[in-house]
Amino acid sequence: GGFSKMASPKTLPKDAQVMIQILKDMGITEYEPRVINQMLEFTYRYVTTIIEDAKIYATHAKKSNVDADDIRLAIQCRMDQSFTSPPPRDFLLEVARQKNQTPLPLIKPYTGPRLPPDRYCLTAPNYRLKSLQKKTSSSAGRITVPRLSVGAVSSRPSTPTLGELMRKLYVYTTSTPSTPTVQNVLINPSLIGSKNILITTNMVSQNSTSDSSTLKRKHEEDDDYDAL
Amino acid sequence: MAAVQDGQIEPESEKEIKSETLNDATGNHAAAVGGLLPSSPVSTASVGASNSSKAAASEDQQTLLAVLQFLKRNKLVESADILRREAGLLEESDDAQGSEGGRDELGGASADEGGEAASLFSRVTSATGASGIATGPAPSKATVAQGSEDQPDVSVVLSAYSQQGDPALYQMYYSGLKKFIESVLDCHRAELSQLFYPLFVHMYLELVYNNHEQEAKEFFEKFHGDQECYYRDDLRVLSGMSKKEHMRGNETLLDFRTSKFVLRISRDSYQLLKRHLQERQNNQIWNIIQEHLYIDIFDGMPRSKSQIDSMSGSLAGEAKREANKAKVFYGLLKEPEIEVPLDDEDEEAENEEGKPKKKKPKKDSMGSKSKKQDPNAPQQNRIPLPELKDSDKLDKIMYMKEATKRIRLGPDNLPSICFYTFLNAYQGLTAVDITDDSSLIAGGFADSTVRVWSVTPRKLRAVKSATDLSLIDKESEDVLERIMDEKTASESKILYGHNGPVYGISFSPDRNYLLSCSEDGTVRLWSLQTFTCLVCYKGHNYPVWDVQFSPHGYYFTSGGHDRVARLWATDHYQPLRMFAGHLADITCTRFHPNSNYLATGSADRTVRLWDILNGNCNRIFTGHKGPIHSLAFSPNGKFLASGATDGRVLLWDIGRGLMIEELNGHTDTIYALKFSRDGEILASGSMDNTVRLWDAVKAFDDIETDDFTAATGHVHLSENSLELQLGTYTSKSTPVIHLHFTRRNLLLAAGGYNP
Repeated sequence: GGFSKMASPKTLPKDAQVMIQILKDMGITEYEPRVINQMLEFTYRYVTTIIEDAKIYATHAKKSNVDADDIRLAIQCRMDQSFTSPPPRDFLLEVARQKNQTPLPLIKPYTGPRLPPDRYCLTAPNYRLKSLQKKTSSSAGRITVPRLSVGAVSSRPSTPTLGELMRKLYVYTTSTPSTPTVQNVLINPSLIGSKNILITTNMVSQNSTSDSSTLKRKHEEDDDYDAL
Repeated sequence: MAAVQDGQIEPESEKEIKSETLNDATGNHAAAVGGLLPSSPVSTASVGASNSSKAAASEDQQTLLAVLQFLKRNKLVESADILRREAGLLEESDDAQGSEGGRDELGGASADEGGEAASLFSRVTSATGASGIATGPAPSKATVAQGSEDQPDVSVVLSAYSQQGDPALYQMYYSGLKKFIESVLDCHRAELSQLFYPLFVHMYLELVYNNHEQEAKEFFEKFHGDQECYYRDDLRVLSGMSKKEHMRGNETLLDFRTSKFVLRISRDSYQLLKRHLQERQNNQIWNIIQEHLYIDIFDGMPRSKSQIDSMSGSLAGEAKREANKAKVFYGLLKEPEIEVPLDDEDEEAENEEGKPKKKKPKKDSMGSKSKKQDPNAPQQNRIPLPELKDSDKLDKIMYMKEATKRIRLGPDNLPSICFYTFLNAYQGLTAVDITDDSSLIAGGFADSTVRVWSVTPRKLRAVKSATDLSLIDKESEDVLERIMDEKTASESKILYGHNGPVYGISFSPDRNYLLSCSEDGTVRLWSLQTFTCLVCYKGHNYPVWDVQFSPHGYYFTSGGHDRVARLWATDHYQPLRMFAGHLADITCTRFHPNSNYLATGSADRTVRLWDILNGNCNRIFTGHKGPIHSLAFSPNGKFLASGATDGRVLLWDIGRGLMIEELNGHTDTIYALKFSRDGEILASGSMDNTVRLWDAVKAFDDIETDDFTAATGHVHLSENSLELQLGTYTSKSTPVIHLHFTRRNLLLAAGGYNP
């Protein structure tokens, strides 16, 4: 893509001319005209931030005027805060040396999708079903459609997590209290080979209410292993 | 005046005093002398040292004389007298030294005066005069001739403590060296000219780092035009740094300052240089050379300019010879033996071989026929690799079937090229990847999205939601089709999640996962069955420029702005290996076909080959003149091709660590490199909107095999880039950022339309 002709330098304000010269000195020859405006805005924001910081430091040191030391301190603090640079080479070499000493971990066979422990994955549901208050019992045997409501995002491990692709499915209904039975179906991986799918359904027999105890279901052990 | 224990302590005490006097401008020097003598902490430690070696004693003597001269220059006559008396120096030789030294100091050491040729001459004559006298307290003056670095010169002595020479004299040192090098024989000149750039940069950085801004600017102005053209970008960065604070954020330059620039010079040229620097007493340059340069001497003919030019250009100089001597297992791993089932579909392909009645399974045709281990191949279990699942075996069978239908390419049988143009990308297309079986294309964009398209007519389907899954019949035959959601099937899917432009994309070999890396410092793993993000790997805190899955799956690498490449496994949230060593950002990372090695290309213009097992850097390849943006291993694992912003493709022999060939032709950055499936053709795609095909077989046939080349690492490149170029194909206005050979050797190219 090209860029439209720039305004002739004479009509540009001095700041813009300086910016153009800086870009030229740094070897940048092709740029869209709005780049100058962006750079000038950045410059303005940066300089005002530094000067404000420097004023604060000067008043802290009980000086009436802002002097070069205050500015220097302001620049340094901003640099450490916003414009950090990567760690120095000797530090990296040392960290790398330590890390590279541990042997590569062996790979467990037949474990399905190889993902980190659930708390390091993004596979947890980011919703929680609200338990309904009313305890009216509907007619026996009828499976009512659950009313989904988006609760607060819960990252507590007790919330059911999606470890493998579709691991557990819970249907909350508003029926009589009885612990829902869980039926697991594991499709034999050797038959199909491409997907390991564990589908668990909640067989709602009759009138089971969702009591709060189902929310705090037991935490599965395999969620928390640290495979290191 | 406190008594002195013995004469040997004197020099050390004087050292203390000298630094004290330097530090305080107005101090009472006599008092300082007296005060420090009894309590010189350095002396006890250094007494033993100075007692042991005569050379050290001579150094101390010289230091003593230097201090004496300094005191005289500053008109501290009383202190000078006290010092002389206590040091027990003879008057007349001292005076002779002193006067000459005085002339010296007046001439040159003052920071206020600019360096002048006259003072240089006076220094030279006085130095020769000094060596001529060679009497009295310094019988070791003869050691000067033998190559000792010290001289009765305050600035030199000062340099030993604060590691800087006189800033005003840097220009003089440099131009002196320049004059010398221009006067040597042609055969040596090319080699010694290598000194210019590192010396220039190091001297400039020293001046900046020690706050001599004015001198630094003058130094730069005078000499930056002499440097080689390919260092222009570096010099531009340097010109913007004139204060020490400017250097703070630039890790690359700080590393450059503390690391040694490697030069390869023949012994003859080196002797010439050494002799000159020592006979001229121009020891400041010698000091700088010793501190900042590593000269790798080899015996043999000096190299020609073209040879040197082809290998130089990187930020760290060339590679030391022993850096490229480690053994690298570049062979391929043995393919597993898979039984190919004989079913009806295969009849047409196997008609000539077998009748349907034949029960003997067809052996894997890809594996090596011999049972012996290839000596150049790594052991199968050298690094742990995931076992093959049934789906992987099915994949391999498909691969073999496709391989039988593969077109053999060659100079007279060029591949057809199919170009996938991304429209309406508005320069936002930053990364592309295609699966191995060419069924999916993914694009990473500057708006932080990742989009996946299906190349085949088959649409992309996600797995159904949890509620729907509960309703399907799990016992049915086609359950795998039923779990897929037909309602939301589409040609393309968009993946949201990153916080910044996506700079790298990689499909897993089993097509279940997609990796993407972005400017926000994270690498994300996406599932291609649910089209959601599974894991976010945080480790780099700075933009990650490239990511790649290993050819066997499970491992992947990433490289970014923080100058380290990391090796991850999908089931570890922290990296398994860290590869640190580059001086600047890592812009490209590629696995070797046997998954045991990793190649990284960097903005410091070197390519490094790392061993995944222990994190060692086994090879350093220099020669590019710009940041490297593409790498490709040949399918047989022996060779590596690299492309950079200088428009050249370089071919490297991994086993011997040498450059094989240099392919010129492109005029802009090369972002895509791929070898054809059997390694006969190398395709390169660049920002100049072209795809070029090169004859790889011919390039690799021409390798010289003599021992000299292998031992010294010299390259004799044949200038036949044009012969190796088989074709140039220009697109209308679309830079090529990805190339992919299908399993049947059709070439696919991808880029974003850029009118």
